[in-house]
Amino acid sequence: MESGVKRMSAYKIIALVILVILAILFAFPLYWIVTGAFKTQASINSTTPEWFPSVWVLDNFRKLFSRQMAPLWEFAVPFSSHFSSTGEDIIFSAGPMVPAAIRWLVNTVFMAVAAMVLTCITAAMAGYALAKKRFKGRALLFSLIVCAMALPKQVILIPLLREMSSLSLYNTIWAVILPTVGWPFGVFLMKQFSEGIPGELMESARIDGAGEIKTFTNIVIPMVKPGIGALAIFTFINSWNDYFMQLIMLSSTSKLTISLGIAKLQAENSTDFGLIMAGATLAAIPIIVIFIAFQKYFTQGITMGAVKG
Amino acid sequence: MKASAGTARSRVLARRETRSAYLFLLPSLIFFVGFVIVPMVMCVITSFFDSTMGKDTVDVFIGVQNYVELWKDSIFLRSLKNTFLIVIVSVPLTCIFSLWVASVIYNLRGPVLSTFRCIFYLPVVTGSVAVTVVWKWMFNNYYGIFNYVGKGLGLLDKNINWLGDERFALWCIILILLTTSVGQPIVLYVSALGNVDPSLVEAAEVDGANNFQAFWKIKWPSIMPTTLYILVITTINSFQCFALIQLLTSGGPNHSTDTVMYYIYYTAFKMYRYGYANAMGVVLAIFIAVLSAVQFKLAKEK
Amino acid sequence: MKRKKILALGLAMTMAMSLAACGNTADKETKAPETQASGESETAGAQNDETASADGESTSITLWTYPIGNWGNSETVDGLIASFNEAHPEIKVSVEYLDYTNGDDQVNTAIEGGQAPDLIMEGPERLVANWGAKGYMVDLTEFFEADSASDIHESAKAACQAADGAYYEYPLCMVAHCMAINERIFEEADALQYVDTENHTWTTENFFKAVQAIYDSGHQDVTAVYCNGQGGDQGTRALINNLYSSTFTNPEHTEYTVNTPENIKALEELAAQDGVNFDASLVGGDEITLFRNGTLAMSLCWNAAQQTNSEMGEAGKTINGDNIIPMLFPSDDGKTELCGGIWGFGIFNNGDDAKIAAAKTFIDFICNDETQVVESVKASTYFPAHQDLKGIYDGTEIADVMSTFSEYFMPSMGDYYQVVPGWATARTEWWNMLQRIGTGGDAATEVETFVTNANAAVTAEQ
Repeated sequence: MESGVKRMSAYKIIALVILVILAILFAFPLYWIVTGAFKTQASINSTTPEWFPSVWVLDNFRKLFSRQMAPLWEFAVPFSSHFSSTGEDIIFSAGPMVPAAIRWLVNTVFMAVAAMVLTCITAAMAGYALAKKRFKGRALLFSLIVCAMALPKQVILIPLLREMSSLSLYNTIWAVILPTVGWPFGVFLMKQFSEGIPGELMESARIDGAGEIKTFTNIVIPMVKPGIGALAIFTFINSWNDYFMQLIMLSSTSKLTISLGIAKLQAENSTDFGLIMAGATLAAIPIIVIFIAFQKYFTQGITMGAVKG
Repeated sequence: MKASAGTARSRVLARRETRSAYLFLLPSLIFFVGFVIVPMVMCVITSFFDSTMGKDTVDVFIGVQNYVELWKDSIFLRSLKNTFLIVIVSVPLTCIFSLWVASVIYNLRGPVLSTFRCIFYLPVVTGSVAVTVVWKWMFNNYYGIFNYVGKGLGLLDKNINWLGDERFALWCIILILLTTSVGQPIVLYVSALGNVDPSLVEAAEVDGANNFQAFWKIKWPSIMPTTLYILVITTINSFQCFALIQLLTSGGPNHSTDTVMYYIYYTAFKMYRYGYANAMGVVLAIFIAVLSAVQFKLAKEK
Repeated sequence: MKRKKILALGLAMTMAMSLAACGNTADKETKAPETQASGESETAGAQNDETASADGESTSITLWTYPIGNWGNSETVDGLIASFNEAHPEIKVSVEYLDYTNGDDQVNTAIEGGQAPDLIMEGPERLVANWGAKGYMVDLTEFFEADSASDIHESAKAACQAADGAYYEYPLCMVAHCMAINERIFEEADALQYVDTENHTWTTENFFKAVQAIYDSGHQDVTAVYCNGQGGDQGTRALINNLYSSTFTNPEHTEYTVNTPENIKALEELAAQDGVNFDASLVGGDEITLFRNGTLAMSLCWNAAQQTNSEMGEAGKTINGDNIIPMLFPSDDGKTELCGGIWGFGIFNNGDDAKIAAAKTFIDFICNDETQVVESVKASTYFPAHQDLKGIYDGTEIADVMSTFSEYFMPSMGDYYQVVPGWATARTEWWNMLQRIGTGGDAATEVETFVTNANAAVTAEQ
């Protein structure tokens, strides 16, 4: 026993040392992004890297913010481009002009939140039906969902582009949101979750005279809440990172997302790493702050999803 | 009489159940059918045509010619190989790595644990594009940090063009993919390991099992569901690694980092061959569907 | 019961389908009058200017520009549009800026997405040979028939004409792409002896000697044959074609002819030469940065706009303050043929006559208005496509540099071959070929593969 503990701690110490090194390596890219954003052009391009900026400058941010401007928000009448005199969407509310990069952040948050909310609602309903209802076509539908779950969107790139074009949704943030919602992983996850709801609970609700909707909102939703949390986080992060759909669906400066914006920055100023890092900092910091502030909920949400999954 | 009345009633009930099931499914189905199934069907149809970009071009039906050509296209075969190489390497590696990290940190004190967990999760929340651009800089041939450190430590004689060299480019991509995908599995494993009943482990140790045996006999089976879930999400993640390739190498050098996902995009918008790109999509979709089905079957058996 | 269930599923399906189908028919409806419209606009073309301003109704158009000098800089472009709006307040122009890495993909997806821009600024290889040939552009013949076009350079005019006789671009400015060297690095390696800095020329033999000398002096990265993508590929083409005086296409622009012994020899020697990196992680823009920060001793992706660019420090100097000397590409027969750039505007036919008319008004103002055209060309820091427009840079701080370029470089402008059918495919094949040669592929074999694939694209497009 005694020696066992000792051996274990020896292994533990070595493991911890390795882990600390790994942790430094994992944190390094982020460190490099943030410090890079504040470095001078000369120190960025020097062949001898500057581990810590000797001078902190705001030039890169100044450059980033002075590039292009866009209104902070724009609300347009849906499909109004079809009947407006100029052929443009009719915009009934537009925010003050801000640097385009700020607008990209607003777009990204809107996109990720909308995708998250829509996915959670539709997937919770569908998952419940798939798990707890017996109906014809269930097996077929479920196999379709399983098979389509890992499907990369590149597969349907051209049809999807044409579909969005005919729905007049091309170059709107909805063209990115809707396919994300249609992606069946959420339904799969919620189905696995809903299977854990005890049948008796629902039976007793029914005996109490609760209708379908009431059963769903009062019994099912509270039971699958952890699952919804997991799905919400998963969808939010995935849609935040889903660069591909944004790349093919969005084109005007005021419609870009922050990921796409940085990618464009890189293409335009391929080696102006200071500017690119300033963009990357802007993209990373808000979500990292959110993550650290809500770390408890994040980890809870993620793990609760998996216990049943 | 009574029996038939019974079946009639159960039929009514069944009908009601079916109707309500579809009503619950409806919102989700609209999106799923509208933005996954319909495009997939269109994709299959177009894959039998010679379709290209152009205002006055007409798609010409060519049967399975696109599919025949696929198997002769060495770039496609290479990209198919790369796609599966990425999945086959990165999925198990992610699982093993994150399980190991989790096993080391799961019984540490609260703040230490959450610091580690947080750090390993950072690349996920930093955002794929932001992570990619910084790695591009670090891998840079002329003033990237890898070459500097490598030369400083005497590991390299001269600069290595990491992303521009066929021997390294794909492995660089797999490395970055790994750092962006271990975050969630670590969080999951930490909590799964924490949930293993300690009395079971103790009992095994009393019976003389060593650490490894205790792990293999007691912990591993009880974290199996978590492992399966991690396998699923990591597989999905590995198939989605488009940004890395587009931004770092554009499939090069010499198509050595092409994945089918990138090659579809390349064929469509650089070569203007829509029908051919769609045929590729169909083939990839079939592979992935089979893979997912197998994975799910396995999960169910457990 | 069964029927109901099928009905429910069918309903969901048809709902989604009809959404798509609906859109499709709407799409077709707009397409039908569109073809008529383009026919009309050809005849009505000349009066478009008046009609657009006369009816007083506002039109908004979108302009997408590639980074052509300062046409990629929003401050400059905003100024140009402001002066356009002084003359034509009824036309609102919104601008998007493209880059050479993803710009083409962006335009292509926009075309498929049904939202191509109204106006686009680039060169004939895209406007004429690609989108024009695919039927997306409006014929601009009327511009060339007008008096204002009488002094357009013949070579520019020829490049703007498609195989079917239509013009899909109206040129604004042009330049000859060249290369550049870092004077300090050359001096330190005692390699300036190989360079005729007076006439900006050198021979093939001296070029290789210079590369070797610099490499031997300890500066290992002399030049990069960049091939990560198509950005700046005119530089690699010009270098290879000029080393032993060969061609890229036949004079009729119907066939790719890279598989000549001269080109193969050039590629073999470049691949074997120390200090020449076939670098699959760079495109032209990256190479310029590396040249500017002193990493590379030469740039293959240079021109007048680069020489006068002061974004990264003093114009004509590297970041460390070394002198940059622009050079012609080395040639064995003393006659360098530079790759030209001819930039101008094209109009996408999006089926809206008012927008097409407004776009034409814009082009006419920017390229033909006597006072405006000076500013428009200056914004590009290139040379005007109008021959009679001379001395626009006189009195500016870049006057000397520009006169050097017009004296020593513009006369060497070679054949504008970038309008061969299948050009977009050939470009992609080109950098793929360079990657293969750079990783040890046999030059002769790889060039043959290039020619086969590129010529297949020619046939496919005809």
